[in-house]
This record gives sequence, structure tokens and C-alpha cells, in this order.
Amino acid sequence: MNALARRLRDSDLAVGAVGAFGLVAIWEIAARTGLVDPQLFPSPLLAIEMAAARLTAETVGENLAWSLFRVFSGFGLGASAGAVIGIAAGWYRTFGMIARPLIELLRPIPPLAWIPLAIIWFGLGEPSKFFIIFLGAFFPVVTSAYHGMRSIDPMLLRAGQTMGLGGVPLLFRVAVPAAAPDLATGVRIGWGLSFGVLVAAELVAADRGLGYMIINERNTGGSVGVIIVGILLIGLLNLVTDAAIGAATKRWIGRWHGT
Amino acid sequence: MAPRAHLALRRPEWSRGEHPVVNVPFIEISSVRKSFPARGGGAVSVLSGIDLAIAENEFVSLVGRSGCGKTTLLNIIAGLEAASGGSVAIAGRPVTGPGQGQGVVFQQHALFPWLAAVDNVGFGFRNAGLSKRQRRARSMELLRLVGLQAAATKYPRELSGGMQQRVSIARALALDPQILLMDEPFGALDELTRIELQQELLRIWQARRKTVVFVTHSINEALILSDRIVLLAANPGRIKRIFEVGMERPRSRTAPSFNALYEDIWNELSS
Ligand SMILES: Nc1ncnc2c1ncn2[C@@H]1O[C@H](COP(=O)(O)OP(=O)(O)OP(=O)(O)O)[C@@H](O)[C@H]1O
Ligand SMILES: [Mg+2]
Repeated sequence: MNALARRLRDSDLAVGAVGAFGLVAIWEIAARTGLVDPQLFPSPLLAIEMAAARLTAETVGENLAWSLFRVFSGFGLGASAGAVIGIAAGWYRTFGMIARPLIELLRPIPPLAWIPLAIIWFGLGEPSKFFIIFLGAFFPVVTSAYHGMRSIDPMLLRAGQTMGLGGVPLLFRVAVPAAAPDLATGVRIGWGLSFGVLVAAELVAADRGLGYMIINERNTGGSVGVIIVGILLIGLLNLVTDAAIGAATKRWIGRWHGT
Repeated sequence: MAPRAHLALRRPEWSRGEHPVVNVPFIEISSVRKSFPARGGGAVSVLSGIDLAIAENEFVSLVGRSGCGKTTLLNIIAGLEAASGGSVAIAGRPVTGPGQGQGVVFQQHALFPWLAAVDNVGFGFRNAGLSKRQRRARSMELLRLVGLQAAATKYPRELSGGMQQRVSIARALALDPQILLMDEPFGALDELTRIELQQELLRIWQARRKTVVFVTHSINEALILSDRIVLLAANPGRIKRIFEVGMERPRSRTAPSFNALYEDIWNELSS
């Protein structure tokens, strides 16, 4: 076996790509040979064709941009608030004693269960979706940040203290870096949840965005192709952004943490 | 230094005679007790009635069986743990926390995993008013001292146990503390590196006038390095006997007086 083939065989990415490609190929063949009804489950190529006939790239781009805008802003704020509150709850005893029970009480509620309340509080516009996405990011991040802070090796804090640090400098120069790997895990989980919640919120109440695009197609009796392309787009977008977060994490803590 | 009457310690028995080392206590440990809460209520006594006066520039070793309280005592001197009773004072000031001139080399190396070796060493320089380049140069110098200049950019997880230990020694030396508290600092080293670092430590101790409290399991090491060797007994931890090592440095490991004292300490330790 030559070197390239061996490298391809050994690479997870290559194996994954072959698997995905195989699945698409089987789907294409099944649809073309009439094994499945192309009206319900069109072949990938046909689905793209159908979508192209109904939508311009501009419409798709616009919906995509809205979805991205919502998830970035909602996630950004939710994750930041989660990090700040989680770190503070882990560091300041009294604050932790107050904040933790509240967080534990609200955390098990799925973000989507807030939708009716969010609509009553914020109406059908952007703030209600922002709120739901915020929650999607907030809880995983706050939990992991708190957990990370509580599981810091006390020797590291002692080492920092013997080098003249205390209070806020000790927090920022020792505790936060020590908790960073846990925090990063929470951020990644929070991103996935935010993204899922985004699409669900757009399905329920929105007039633009990828979720809206696919549910609208269904409600107006449009083509299955648009729905399939929309779903694939959502999956692809999540895949790419998640990989980007993964790569950033690896760059940030990979070498010293070994992940 | 002239002995000051109000600080002068009643000279303990061991130092009567040829080697009047202690006259002004620099680190004064008085009736220190420590107990930890026991599982299922109550308390276990880990240290009881520790009295020890250490003079400025003195090199004192603590030896004793595993679990007899050496690390606990060191932590109390470092100000990292509060005594349950009694007091520790440095230069007459009660120890209330770390940062009163105590530098610590921990038994577990406790390096910051997110910093490369050179940045671990330079960690404490941040508030010392040095430029980034000066900090780096000083850190490199210290790494060279412990023979690790080639590993400067490696992270702790990329270093062997002995290398990590040397980085943490360099880190403790970086701030040039008056007092060095070292908890089995050479435990994970090969014999050759260990002997080299013993020599280096003695050189630094003599050149920079430091007071050292040094925990070791090696009687040999304690004999090579120390002015006095404090033997602790366990359950609860207490001072069993203090040995004065009156030999000139550099010491020979094969000298009859060396071996005689070794014998003494060994007998006391194992009895
Ligand atoms: N935080 C703690 N809580 C309860 N018990 C403790 C605590 N720290 C230490 N001990 C107990 O105190 C005793 C002395 O511990 P210490 O670490 O000081 O021993 P040591 O002499 O340094 O031992 P070694 O030579 O193995 O390092 C041990 O019996 C240990 O179990
Ligand atoms: Mg110990």
C-alpha cells in the first residue's frame, strides 16, 4: 500500500468523508431506481434542482444571514453571561450559595419550554428568539464554568499565593486559566444547543431565517426539495461552526491540556 | 549579627559547645499544633507542640516517616495553612499568610499547566517591574541553572517528573525569597542530577544568604546539606530529636564523622 492510501485510511476525516459520500450515493441510486418515491424523498441532485427553481441564492443567503446573526448574538451574550456568573459563583462563596440553587432550579427546563413565555414577554419579534438562544448557551456554559472553578487543583492556587497573588489577580492569572478546559467544553456544548434552539424557535415563530424557510415551504405547499436543502444547510452550518470552535479550542488549550 | 537581649533565645542543649549557631530566631515556631477534622466527627492531631527556632541563614532539614507532618509544618510556615494552636513568626512578625518572604517548592510540583517552562519560572516577575525581555532573560538564566534551558518552551505535561521538579525549583528561586521552604525537592531526580542540584542549592544558599527549611527522606542528603537535622516522630507529629551537623562544607560522604552521625540518625529514626 502506498503512503497516501495509508494516510487516507488512517485519517478519521477521510473515513467520515467516504461514509458520507457512500450514504449520498445510495440515496441517489435509491431515488433514481424508484426504490423510494422521488416526490417525497427526491434524490440529492433533484432536491437541489427543485430548490433552485423555487428560491434565489439571495433568498437563501438572507435567511442564512438572519439565522447566523441570531445565533451569534444570542450565543455570544448567553455564553459570556454564563462564563461570568459561573466563574463568580465558583470563586465567591456567598455569591455561589445564592446563585447555584437558582441555576439548578432553572437548568433542567428545556429552552424551548420558554417559548410561550418568551412570546408573551417579548412578542414575536427578535427579542423572544434572542432570549431562547441565550438560554441555550447560558446553562451549559454556566454549569461547566462553575464546575471548572470548583475542581481547580488547590496546589495551583497555593503556588499562586506563594508568588504574591491574591484576590482578583489570583482569580484571573491562576483560577480562570485552570478552569479554561472545562469552560471550553461548556462553550462547545452551548453552541450546539443554541443552534438547535435557534432552528426550533424559527420553526415556531419567525418570518425569516433557515427554520422559517423550511416550515414556510411546508405551510405553503411548496417543494420537498427546498425543505431537504434547508435541512442539509442547517446541518452543514452547524458542522462547520462546531469544527471551527473545536479548532479554536485546540489552538487555545490543546498543547498544554493535551486534548 | 549581635545578639539582641530581648530576642535572644535560651540556647538549646544541642548547640551548647562548639557550634553556637542560633542566637536570634529568624523563624520562630512556638507550640504549634495542627489537627484536621476526622471523618465521622472529632479531630486527628497531626502536629503537637512543635517548638523550633531557626536562625537567619540557617539550613534546617526535616526528616521523619511518611505521614508524620512534614508537609503540614512547611505549609504552616509558608502561611498556606493556619495552625490550630501556637504561632509562627518570621523576623518577629507573626505569619498570617503567604508572601512574607517565603518561597515554596511543593512536594507535588504544582506547575501551571497552561504556561511553558520559561513562563512558569517567570510567573512571579509580573509584579516586579521588569520588562518582558528582562523577565525572559532572568527566567532563562534560572532554567540554565537547573539544566533545562533546552526545555524552555515545553509545557509541564511535556516534561518528565524530574524536569518538572527542576522547573518548580527554578520558579521558587526566581523571586529570590529570603526563606526557601522545600518539600522533597530532589525526590524525583536521578542520583547524578540530585547531587548536582544539591551543590547548586548550597552555592545559592551561601551566596544569597537564604534561610532554608528542607524536607527530605534521605538522611544522606540531609547530612550533606544541613546545619541541623530535625527528626520528627509521628502520631501526633512532634520533634523527636535535633541533630547538629558540625562538619565543614563541602562534606565528604565517606568521612567517619559523616557515617557516625548517619548511624545515629538511622537508629533514632528506626527506633
Ligand atoms: N487536609 C488534610 N485533612 C486531613 N488529614 C490531613 C490533611 N493533610 C494532611 N493530613 C494528614 O496529616 C498527616 C501528615 O501529613 P503530611 O502531608 O504533613 O505528611 P508528610 O510528613 O509530609 O508525609 P510524606 O513524607 O509522605 O510527604 C497525614 O497522616 C495525613 O493523612
Ligand atoms: Mg509531605
